[in-house]
Amino acid sequence: MTLLSVRGVTKRYGGLVAVNNVSFDVAAGELVGLIGPNGSGKTTLLNILSGLADPDAGEILLDGKPCQGLTPEKLAHRGMMRMFQLTRVFRRMNVIDNLLVAGRALGLKPGEALDRARSLISELRLDAVAALDAGQLSGGQMKLLEFGVCFMVPPRIALLDEPFAAVHPTMKEIMGGFIRSRHENGQTFLLVSHDMPVVVELCPRAICMNAGAVVIDAPTRAVLADARVIEAYLGGQAA
Amino acid sequence: MTTQSPPPSRASAQLSNTKTTVEFRVALAAMAIVALLPLGVGNAYWLGVLIVSMYFAILAGGWNLLAGYAGQFSLAPATFAMIGAYTTGLLNHYYGVPPLLGIVAAIVVSGLVGLLLGRAVLRLAGPYLALTTLSFAEIMRLVAANSIDITRGDLGLGVAGLLDSRVGWYYLFLGALTVLLVLFYLLLRSKAGLFLQAIRDDEVAARRAGVDVVFWKTAAFALSAAASGFAGALYAHFAELVTPELGLIAQTGLILSMVVIGGMGTLAGPIIAAFLVYVLSEWLRDVGGYQLVVFAALVVIFARFFREGLWGLAMAAVRRWRQA
Ligand SMILES: Nc1ncnc2c1ncn2[C@@H]1O[C@H](COP(=O)(O)OP(=O)(O)OP(=O)(O)O)[C@@H](O)[C@H]1O
Ligand SMILES: [Mg+2]
Repeated sequence: MTLLSVRGVTKRYGGLVAVNNVSFDVAAGELVGLIGPNGSGKTTLLNILSGLADPDAGEILLDGKPCQGLTPEKLAHRGMMRMFQLTRVFRRMNVIDNLLVAGRALGLKPGEALDRARSLISELRLDAVAALDAGQLSGGQMKLLEFGVCFMVPPRIALLDEPFAAVHPTMKEIMGGFIRSRHENGQTFLLVSHDMPVVVELCPRAICMNAGAVVIDAPTRAVLADARVIEAYLGGQAA
Repeated sequence: MTTQSPPPSRASAQLSNTKTTVEFRVALAAMAIVALLPLGVGNAYWLGVLIVSMYFAILAGGWNLLAGYAGQFSLAPATFAMIGAYTTGLLNHYYGVPPLLGIVAAIVVSGLVGLLLGRAVLRLAGPYLALTTLSFAEIMRLVAANSIDITRGDLGLGVAGLLDSRVGWYYLFLGALTVLLVLFYLLLRSKAGLFLQAIRDDEVAARRAGVDVVFWKTAAFALSAAASGFAGALYAHFAELVTPELGLIAQTGLILSMVVIGGMGTLAGPIIAAFLVYVLSEWLRDVGGYQLVVFAALVVIFARFFREGLWGLAMAAVRRWRQA
């Protein structure tokens, strides 16, 4: 069953076509990698999917219903949950409250939200810092926290933008294990990453973008072996 | 990249609800002390000073909700006090509406104007928000001052009193302040407290998490304005006079300094600081007209070196004392 359908989505910034006629479907339960060199339009596409940018053309369907032009908060309620490339947390609120914001906003009762926050904190090994303000966490801990926010209420689809960038291997392992186990339980993901070994390990399928357009959409190993993909990475700036 | 060891715990290393509850209890204790003051202070002048302190404490509490918790740095709190004062003042002066009804109307009207202002500045932040609300404040004050046929301008509008005894007024203001304190506490303990602070810290992240930013921001403007309007309306019947001076920028400056010195985004700090700052300003009035200079300097010092204000300093002292 198709959960997310992206059809001919285009976004221009002045003369630059940041996203160029992108189309693909994500089925429920899939874990799809989205790769491509710097500036290829991955973040812009996620901005469009999460309601932070309006596409100039194209259509997006979530669970069969059009959803372009909705506000980020509406999309969050529809189950589109996004993690930012540049970490966003509530810096002057503590770790638990950061999680509670999402839980309460998405309709959980106070007790239920607290229970889920606590179990996410232990699953992500943030116990030692749970009572600290998010602004006092290390960069990697902040990423883990933002990652946790996305799963306070299991989303229809998690859009993760470089969750592993500049994260300590131990934390990367925690996040990777989390993604794997949720995926086994049917959680759907779109995962942007420059970390090819992780993409190979986690994602059965990958989409590669270059200069705003989809180069190839295929099983991950085939994508990485594709001449056009190698060309895109070598031709552009290094990933 | 290596992981940093967790930084040492600080005041914020408590659950936020616990933190808010501690602040609430301290504020209530402070109110209890204020309730006892008339036993010692018989002097009508100083009783009056304390009443005005409570007026400012309500304004500081209301502005703190908007600026300290929701992060919306509006420069119009005194304006809403003026709007509240004129609402009940005009109703009373022209239509003989009794003060209690007028005060309710003032809460509603200032809340509605606050809601409209909140809507209008929804997409503004930082200096743009401050400047826009500042223009709004000046425009409203000039309208009040220049609508001489209606408001009698700077001469002021005479309005009915409500209570005869100064001690009665004292406890009325104290009751109003305490009710507001309880309401704010309940609000901040609810999900509203989470959402307002989330909006303050990162609006985009708040939206991502599903927070209805438009609703909560507007609500913060409306509630804060309603609280200010309430204070202004009470003050109108206390002073039995309404003038455009209630909306002077200097008044907003005083409110701002109370909140910054007391500790932005803490429940107790701004309310307690309102008393300290206002009593100090009365005392400085005797010394010479230096109040504004002193407070401006204090605001700069606190904003630069003590972001959490006197409340933060007090909490740090308590922690040191406990560790010793
Ligand atoms: N708001 C914007 N205004 C103007 N140009 C933009 C804007 N957002 C993105 N772009 C441009 O669109 C192109 C795609 O950027 P995007 O951030 O989507 O790339 P990316 O694939 O996420 O890159 P990276 O791997 O470095 O994160 C870039 O050339 C960028 O400069
Ligand atoms: Mg990017």
